[in-house]
Amino acid sequence: MFEITRDENGTISLQGRLDASQVDTARAVFNQVTESCKIDFAKLSYISSAGLGLLFGTQKRLVDSGGGLTLVNLNPHIRELFQIAGFDNIFDID
Amino acid sequence: MRPGRRCGVERGFAGVVAVSGEFRREIEALGEVFAFLETFVDGQEVDEKAAFCINLVVEELFTNMVRHNEGGGDRITVSIERRNDHLQLELVDSDVEPFDPETAEVPPVDAGIGERRPGGLGIHLVRSMVDDLAYNYEPEGRRMRITVTKTLEN
Repeated sequence: MFEITRDENGTISLQGRLDASQVDTARAVFNQVTESCKIDFAKLSYISSAGLGLLFGTQKRLVDSGGGLTLVNLNPHIRELFQIAGFDNIFDID
Repeated sequence: MRPGRRCGVERGFAGVVAVSGEFRREIEALGEVFAFLETFVDGQEVDEKAAFCINLVVEELFTNMVRHNEGGGDRITVSIERRNDHLQLELVDSDVEPFDPETAEVPPVDAGIGERRPGGLGIHLVRSMVDDLAYNYEPEGRRMRITVTKTLEN
């Protein structure tokens, strides 16, 4: 089960499990992101390389235009995954 | 029995518990794979960190097989076994060309975003999270077998 929502402030909230079978659902929202925004991981329990790849592609596109994603409320397992991937150097993680 | 899962075998003896299931060669079968893993994890009282690792390792290897072995057999076998404080995960794919994940290029994880390219992360994550990853290819059945071992921390 995976859900993605975007509030009036532009913050994107992820919920559930972002695996390879759900990444197209997330991509539809991330493709709409054209400027810096916050991604709230508070209710995301799981992510794999499919989701990491989507975040990376979005970040690369935003950085190229002077913006970027801020990731908040990562659980310890997901935070460790970002470290292994070297994404803690690439994203602004609160 | 779940629609996508052809069989499930469970046996237990002398501290060893093992389960096995066959799943459709489709990314959409991941939900059934995760349900299969969850049953094992719950029954074995595996901690949250190890459970996350098991899910990730199986997803990365399973999706690799689906994407890189087009034209392979219609089922992929996933097995998981616990021997005391060790877990062994095994995925078997048939009618496929050899592809050794151990030869996959390691992404430049210390590089900045300008030097990074998408892709190549899955196998790197797997290699980083397990104790051992072994690849075996049997030319006769064109069968690929990937086995990973993970030590449980408690």
